[in-house]
Amino acid sequence: MSCWYNISAPEDDIVVSTRIRLARNLSGIPFPSRMNSEQLEQLKSKVKMAVSESNTPFAKTLKYIDMNAVPEVEINAMVERHVISPEFAAKSEGRAIILSDDESISIMIGEEDHLRIQVILGGFQLEKAYDIAERLDTLLYDRLHFAFDDELGFLTECPTNLGTGLRASVMLHLPVCESSGEIAPLSENISKIGFTVRGMYGEGSRSAASLYQISNQITLGISEKNAVDNLKVITAQLIEKERGLRNNLERISVEDTVFRALGTVKSARKISGKEMMNLISRIKLGTSMGIINSDKNPFGILIENQPFMIMRRYGEMPPEERDIKRAQTLREEFKDSSL
Amino acid sequence: MLCEKCGKNNATTHIRTIVNGVVREINLCGYCAAEEGYTSIGHNSLAGMLASMLGDVVTPQIASEEVRCPVCGATFSDIAETGKVGCAECYKTFNRELLPYLKRVHGSTKHSGKIPNRAPLTVKEDSETVDSLKLELNRLVSEERYEEAAIIRDKIRKKEAENE
Repeated sequence: MSCWYNISAPEDDIVVSTRIRLARNLSGIPFPSRMNSEQLEQLKSKVKMAVSESNTPFAKTLKYIDMNAVPEVEINAMVERHVISPEFAAKSEGRAIILSDDESISIMIGEEDHLRIQVILGGFQLEKAYDIAERLDTLLYDRLHFAFDDELGFLTECPTNLGTGLRASVMLHLPVCESSGEIAPLSENISKIGFTVRGMYGEGSRSAASLYQISNQITLGISEKNAVDNLKVITAQLIEKERGLRNNLERISVEDTVFRALGTVKSARKISGKEMMNLISRIKLGTSMGIINSDKNPFGILIENQPFMIMRRYGEMPPEERDIKRAQTLREEFKDSSL
Repeated sequence: MLCEKCGKNNATTHIRTIVNGVVREINLCGYCAAEEGYTSIGHNSLAGMLASMLGDVVTPQIASEEVRCPVCGATFSDIAETGKVGCAECYKTFNRELLPYLKRVHGSTKHSGKIPNRAPLTVKEDSETVDSLKLELNRLVSEERYEEAAIIRDKIRKKEAENE
């Protein structure tokens, strides 16, 4: 089955992905930081049962995965595919996830909260992603009765998630905003209205390949609908800004930078992870602006050629060998890309 | 510039906070900044920042009482130290201590989103699911509101026909 990053989606010339995350906890069991192994087992079996007993067609697409049975390389590859967070990967022992066939839905059990329900879709699909997360939340609530307080909303381990427990985010490709020095002023304006701008892998991560994640900061006193609507408006403005700046570029200069990148991926013998980010970013700009053709989404190729994703296919190997494999794969992927 | 709090010493710390879009700026001397809990600037983790903010509200008196959460056994000092709440019950046990902090982080202390067990607040008008409609139907029937229940029943039939 195709994953979200290999399917074309609305506004995917700029919006790489849309993500909805809901933080939920069960009452009666301490939050993960204070939970013992017995309570963790109890939590896992309750969640597992809630999903299987719900017996809806929707729940049947979900499978329960015991993280102890997952090899180290695959755990890291899951982080690269955004199925789990780096924090969860670091302490995945004894933990479990629930994952849909196309990997668009995942539930991390025992991350910072008992449950982290995540829906990730390609392109700009905030309402659809929220709708799926909401359905899953309601379905699970009927059986798990999440900790909820009339005043404070859904109770979470970190008070910054209290209330809706909702983190709505979009990942945007903003190469021209970046090169025009627009990111810093944009970030400042966005932060004034309770949203934040971050790098590709969430909290504390740096931007690579001109990818920026915009998400809501505030979860208490704001409804899910408002948070989603506000993010929608901000994203629409950023899309417009980036497209406007792209239209003002000197065509020959863009073609030059795009074709140089294409030339490199078509002929290089070694490509490091960092170099790939840079090249793919420029190729994506080229496909979005209609300068070059490519059947596959360049960002799908980027995800598939992260270090652990490569080792998942070819077995463990040192970085230098990975660079060779990566160059080989990229040559193959882009061999038919042309004007 | 003099410190805006004590008005005696020179202001050495400029503090700018943005909560829910409201920007507040203040210039303080080192002493008053420390008193306001802005001693450790440059925290790289949210948890660290949070812990330092929570630390502000721990007064020696509260700490010495050592109230423990009846479910998880956490004290408020534990929460302030880690920035992490022990369990759902802690929000009741330490409500008084947590509220000022929540106000600072979110600019609010009142949830205004989804309320479980009632009709879900959905983003789209047409996102009612068969499951949620059935719940609603049961509720209406139990309250003997049959006319409204009939409307929901028809909606479910229509949805199920669409799904097939």
